[in-house]
Amino acid sequence: MCALVLELRGLVKHFAVASGEPVRAVDGVSLTVARGELLALHGPSGSGKTTLLMLIAALLPPDAGSVILDGRDVCAFSARDAARYRLVDLGFVRQSLNLIAGADVVDNAALKLMGTELGAREARRRVRPLLDRLGLADRASHRPEQLSMGERQRVMIARALSTDPKLVLADEPTGSLDTQRGSEVLELLAEVCREREVSVVLVTHDPRAASYADRVHVLRDGRLVEDQPDRAFAPIDAK
Amino acid sequence: MKLSSIVRLYRVRLRARFVQELFAVLGIAIGVALLFASQVASTSLDRSAQQLTRGVLGDMRFQIAARDAHGFDERLLAQVHAIPGVSMAVPVLEANANVVGPDGTRSVDLVGTDPRLAGQGGQLVRSLRALRFAKLKALIVPAPIAQAIGDSSLQRIDLQIGESTVSALLVPQLLKGAAGGLAGSSIALAPLAYAQALTGLQGRLTSIFVSSPPALDRQVLAGLRSAGAGSLNIRPATFNEALFDRAARPTNQSTGLFSAISALVGFLFAFNALLLTVPQRRDLIEDLRLDGYTRGMIVEVLMFDALVLGVVACAAGLALGELLSSVLFDSNPGYLSFAFPIGPRRIVTWTSVALAVAGGLLAAFIGVLAPLRGAILSRRDTFFSDPAYRSARRTTWLLVGGVSCLLATTVILLAAPAAAIAGVVILAAALLLLLPLVLDGLTLAFDRLQVRFAGASSYLAVIELRSPGNRARSIGVAATGAIAVFGSVAIQTAHGDLQEGLNRVARGLNATTDVWVSPASEANSLATTPFHGVVAAQVAALPAVRSIGLYRGSFLDIGDRRTWVIAPPRQVARPLPRGQLLEGSTALATRRFHEGGWIIISRAIAQERNLHVGDLFTLPAPRPTPFRIAALSTNFGWPSGAIMLNADDYARAWGSSDPSALLVGLQPGISPAAGRSEIRRALGSGSGLEVQTAAERERDFRATGRQGLSRLTQISALVLIATVLAMSATMGAMIWQRRPRLAEMKVDGFSRDVLWRALLWESGLLLGAGCSLGAVFGLYGQVILSHALVTVTGFPVAFSPGILIALASFVLVTATAMLIVAVPGALATRVRPALSIRD
Repeated sequence: MCALVLELRGLVKHFAVASGEPVRAVDGVSLTVARGELLALHGPSGSGKTTLLMLIAALLPPDAGSVILDGRDVCAFSARDAARYRLVDLGFVRQSLNLIAGADVVDNAALKLMGTELGAREARRRVRPLLDRLGLADRASHRPEQLSMGERQRVMIARALSTDPKLVLADEPTGSLDTQRGSEVLELLAEVCREREVSVVLVTHDPRAASYADRVHVLRDGRLVEDQPDRAFAPIDAK
Repeated sequence: MKLSSIVRLYRVRLRARFVQELFAVLGIAIGVALLFASQVASTSLDRSAQQLTRGVLGDMRFQIAARDAHGFDERLLAQVHAIPGVSMAVPVLEANANVVGPDGTRSVDLVGTDPRLAGQGGQLVRSLRALRFAKLKALIVPAPIAQAIGDSSLQRIDLQIGESTVSALLVPQLLKGAAGGLAGSSIALAPLAYAQALTGLQGRLTSIFVSSPPALDRQVLAGLRSAGAGSLNIRPATFNEALFDRAARPTNQSTGLFSAISALVGFLFAFNALLLTVPQRRDLIEDLRLDGYTRGMIVEVLMFDALVLGVVACAAGLALGELLSSVLFDSNPGYLSFAFPIGPRRIVTWTSVALAVAGGLLAAFIGVLAPLRGAILSRRDTFFSDPAYRSARRTTWLLVGGVSCLLATTVILLAAPAAAIAGVVILAAALLLLLPLVLDGLTLAFDRLQVRFAGASSYLAVIELRSPGNRARSIGVAATGAIAVFGSVAIQTAHGDLQEGLNRVARGLNATTDVWVSPASEANSLATTPFHGVVAAQVAALPAVRSIGLYRGSFLDIGDRRTWVIAPPRQVARPLPRGQLLEGSTALATRRFHEGGWIIISRAIAQERNLHVGDLFTLPAPRPTPFRIAALSTNFGWPSGAIMLNADDYARAWGSSDPSALLVGLQPGISPAAGRSEIRRALGSGSGLEVQTAAERERDFRATGRQGLSRLTQISALVLIATVLAMSATMGAMIWQRRPRLAEMKVDGFSRDVLWRALLWESGLLLGAGCSLGAVFGLYGQVILSHALVTVTGFPVAFSPGILIALASFVLVTATAMLIVAVPGALATRVRPALSIRD
């Protein structure tokens, strides 16, 4: 856990609004994430957490600063390179409401792989061991509407990890889950990513997340208010 | 991205949006079907005429043709033969006639010719070589005509020609099968001498067709012109094609215009159906982008959606169009058969198929890709910017876009009415752009009103209408209603204007007298066949008859227009039907008609020749005669245009005093029916003349007009049916999609009744906004279409704002849709609350 995978250097992003000053969504954020490390970003709504993820995912251009992944400046990527970067180097776990209705678990998990040079059949074959690992083997032929929310979230994790990415970005992955299911999902995400040495940036305002993270940062009004690990918000009975 | 992955993605997603996809297929298929069927109908008309002309005339180069039904001296044939370069000259005598058999009467174009036609003509007449044609004393008629009148073979039938009825022998089956296009026509062939004897035109011909080497064209033409001496028409042998093309063009243009609008309505249904799936597709695009799909890959995925949709819809549309064109849109030439010997025949060309398929595929690609253009191309910033900021910008753009489109439509209406299709498309775009603003305004007004009632259902309806998640779906439903009513109103009202215009002509032309007497023949419905008129004195002597006037009329070729010449007796007080004058004063034109030396001419003919009121125009009649133009008129319902002059002027220019109808005025107290019976009795059963009251004749005229407009009537009915079906499907799909949301509301404690009423309020507001705006824009569409019909086709159009039709369409579509919401909506509100709690 020493090699750096991700480095953010003085990232800034502002948004125009109809009246008044622009909103400073991300305001000079710098941080690093090592290989296999799980970093939790904690903060209230509107603190800039999701914008920060979008900047890391090269879905937004920063107004200033840079995003370095594995030594490459993500902000300098062309649209095509940025897409390739998200497809191969990045996994995205978000709330599971957007699974493809009508498609079964295997198809939903294989969505990223289908975007690669693999054909549909090979993509479905390759994602199966991951589904087994995530405990979805017996749900493979089920459709989203036949799954629990926890199971849907595991499908999203399978999709994110399907291309063996270097970094997983998780945006409020437990937002729609109860305490027990939320903990199960976070535990599984942390376990599987550590096994594969995949780094994770976990954005959440769920206090349980801290107990699974190697480091925790707090984001407020677009700034990292503490650049040291902060476990103050973690529950006492956490790991 | 591999094709197998694209196909897989398509397949798995299809399960969840099958109903909406089916609806989109239906919309595009309706558009494709209408385009295809109207294309087939138009092509069938044009190609039938072309096949018939070429099949009969083969490689013959020129024709020398008479300008009236009396023809010219047959001795001219020898003179033509003697022209250097002429290798063969075939004599022809043509006349309108009726064949009367035991089971009915049919109108035929009697063509008398000699065996040289079989030798020099095209493949349709080569079978005549096997006959000893010259010695035959019989009429060879197409088998379908023989069957229709109940004649089997070699039987004697009655032949009504002019004012006479003669007996003739019929040979029906000879032209069956092998003669192809001729078998489907109304041509009755006879040896020349026999035809001359039957028509009483011994020693006369109406045309001579000439065969010559192409290299000698100039020499032969010069010889023919010299032989024609300025009183005969010299032109290419196949000139009938050009005449027919010109005559059929307005009908084809009107059909094309209406079909294009109908197809547009169909395609917009599809577009709106696809709007209902925009939220899902937008979510998919978001997912794919987050997961690393490039724009190109996303477009590939969506293009495959569009391709499958387009291919399936085109296949269904072609099948439906085939059914429409063979069952509904028949290729009957209708009133064009009065002037051209052509029968119903369906001809499908690759061009028709290609045009319909191209339209369908284009609609599918636009329908799938256009609503998602923003999502595909957007930079992420737009998703994160202030909603109020985006809303204000969107409102401004919608307003600017909508008003610009309205202005563009107005410019087209005033400056380029020929671009009516583009005008209606832009008007539809204006409607769609302004609709969200109207909907927002209506929702705001409703919100202010509903707070006074403090009802939960109206409150819920406002919440749902304002929910950004429901925005695309709400606009989709309102837009479907708007486009449905818009298309339906525009087409129905313009069709009504055209029908009323034709009715006015029918009323105005026929009401000039009590009873009409003219040669009996369907082809003589416009009173264009002359007869000797010796019975005029006999009719005038009848006690019931107060007055008798000689009406004259015929078809006259002016350039490539076979125009209808209308020549009422000079003493007719109001010869001009109401609303037919486009330039000039009715009072002055009527006075000049009575004075003589003046003609009233269709504006289309005048414009072609740069003629204006007061100008001198030499009518190319058998005796070319100069006339001054008294006024410019519509085409009186005859597509190639019409010319009106008084009957005395006609006699002078045509060099004949033969009437084509007797206008009989009855003594006071004598009813038209009684007068008609008395005249029929006086003429006897052997007469070839038909006696009709003005009302009967007007009824026939109206029926002919309706027949001419039958395709437009069918299109307008289809649009209405498609409208109701489309709204049913849209509302059904909308309600089905709402079940999870309704379940959530039940969890929040809202009762079934409240939810049901909320659904009704919401649907009512959506439909109210959409359908009312559609009705208003439909009335503007009527103005554009009616104006285009007058200026482009020259048809008589009696414009009156179709407010009743607009109201009826609004009520029909809204009521149907509300009914559809009410019943399944009540069922949908029975949804179990558990549907919203899955985990």
